[in-house]
Amino acid sequence: MTTDTTVLATGQALEAQPLRPKRRGRGSLAGTIALVIAAIVWFLPFVLLITTSIRTGSDFLSGGPISWPKELTFQNFTDAWKVGNFSTTYRNSIIIAVVKVPLGVLISAMMAFALAKLRVRFKGAVLFSVVLGLTIPIYIALVPLFITIKDIGLIDNLFGLLGPYLAFGIPFEVLVLHSFFRGLPDEVLEAARMDGAGAWRMFFQIVLPLSKPALITVLILDAVSTWNELLMALTILSSDSRKTLPLGLLNFTGQFSTNYGGLAAAILIAVVPMLIAYGFLQRYIVSALTAGAVKG
Amino acid sequence: MSALTKPGTAAVAARRARVLENPWLFILPALAVYAAFLVWPAIQSVGISFTNWNGISPVRHFVGLQNYVKLSQDPTALTALKNNGIWSGVTIVVPMVLGLLLAVLLNGSSRLAPLLRTVFYMPAVLPLVSVAAIWGWLYDPNQGSVNAILKLIGLGSLAQPWLGQDSTALWAVIIPGIWVRTGFPMLLYLAALQGIPKELYESAQSDGANRWQRFWYITMPGLRASHLIVFALSTIESFKVFDLVFAMTNGGPGNSTQVLGTWMYFNVFQYLQAGYGTAIAVVITLAALVFGIPYVLSQIRSEKP
Repeated sequence: MTTDTTVLATGQALEAQPLRPKRRGRGSLAGTIALVIAAIVWFLPFVLLITTSIRTGSDFLSGGPISWPKELTFQNFTDAWKVGNFSTTYRNSIIIAVVKVPLGVLISAMMAFALAKLRVRFKGAVLFSVVLGLTIPIYIALVPLFITIKDIGLIDNLFGLLGPYLAFGIPFEVLVLHSFFRGLPDEVLEAARMDGAGAWRMFFQIVLPLSKPALITVLILDAVSTWNELLMALTILSSDSRKTLPLGLLNFTGQFSTNYGGLAAAILIAVVPMLIAYGFLQRYIVSALTAGAVKG
Repeated sequence: MSALTKPGTAAVAARRARVLENPWLFILPALAVYAAFLVWPAIQSVGISFTNWNGISPVRHFVGLQNYVKLSQDPTALTALKNNGIWSGVTIVVPMVLGLLLAVLLNGSSRLAPLLRTVFYMPAVLPLVSVAAIWGWLYDPNQGSVNAILKLIGLGSLAQPWLGQDSTALWAVIIPGIWVRTGFPMLLYLAALQGIPKELYESAQSDGANRWQRFWYITMPGLRASHLIVFALSTIESFKVFDLVFAMTNGGPGNSTQVLGTWMYFNVFQYLQAGYGTAIAVVITLAALVFGIPYVLSQIRSEKP
């Protein structure tokens, strides 16, 4: 009983947490309310997308964009899937991500391992030059890349994106993996060396298995940015059958200019996979952003 | 393995092993790809920026600094430069301040924190083209939700074609930019707040410091490294602005939302002025490097144990 009254006195009746210090007191309720309101505003675009996507066109027109739907339908989604050419753009985005992301992480991990754990001359210069790529906008390489890819006959081909995508992913991957590998204890590697393990065996059998969190992190963040890339794809790809998801989305919104339910459904089809993936993987994304690439 | 079974070939095997041990074998694949598809094209661009090349014909003449002179006198490029400045200023400062505020508030409330963190970070994982589609749809002058909400709360007189007029278009593009970019500083600040010792707050409180004083004298100094990192990364990121503007307004109406990235793209691929477009890209890159070099140096230096 006594605990109850002290809790009430400090205004924490609903969140009684005896082990917490009293620091969280009065201000925090107002803060929480402000946060919840801000979160609702932040989330509002998604709510409006959902409500519009599941109502009929006439219901939308009679009720207006911010009313609650009365006539529900899933027709918008089937229409949008066809008009938006999603089966093609999804397939293309998946193909490029599945090829590019593991390959990019592997070669970046190899480089990061050598720079972190092996004796290499000009190590600092190599690391600096590669990580500097993180700051370089893709514009600067666009015209020569377009010419080169045309010359090797990969224009309007998904695999024309592979080289540039790998190159622009390497700086970030190397930065994160290098800082992770440096943290691995040297004793483990020395012990392996004593047992006769070469650098390759150390890399594949010790370093990679010990680095799962960093590898998963880099895989995810690289997949997100590969999946979302627009400018390079816009430059290299032109046929509808070759387009990736962002390109497809860019081109078809006009076709829905009078069908708001269809447009909302199409946007949802495009974003929901990313949101689901994020939901499952946010733990890793959060740790990546707060540890690897951006430490003080 | 078979080499080892034959006497006399052990030395050869050892040499081969040493060759395979060469650390450059680990470095080369990534370095080659990086050099071929990033460094070399970037260097080529500098060369192209000194020519009058149209991007297609085999003819190209060296014109010296002509493209750069043209750039300094091109009214659209100057608009684009101004827009880049506004874009950078707003999308660096506002997400930083909002992110810090959210982090400080979220650091306190325990049960809702993971959910709220997810909500605020969510826009950051979406393709920017889809963000553009979402907001283009919200801004629609007749059927869009922004005007509908204004009418609902009695501000119907403010309803307008947000993306269709010079006066509001740039700001209408910046708002989703903020929506996308607030989550990142929030996460960074949240992580950094965990690192500030609780005892500091407790002793300050027992010395009679109020909330504001504790924030100003403990939290802010404790986050100094984070401020620098958020600022550097946001700055680098802001030079890359392209997708949102391209997908929402295509640089229009008129050229009112043109940024250097879109203006570069249009010059190269629509007006067939590859030399001039490339000069624009060179300028953006140089500006990005001014901020990028100190950031990269600090990241690499802090790696040292």
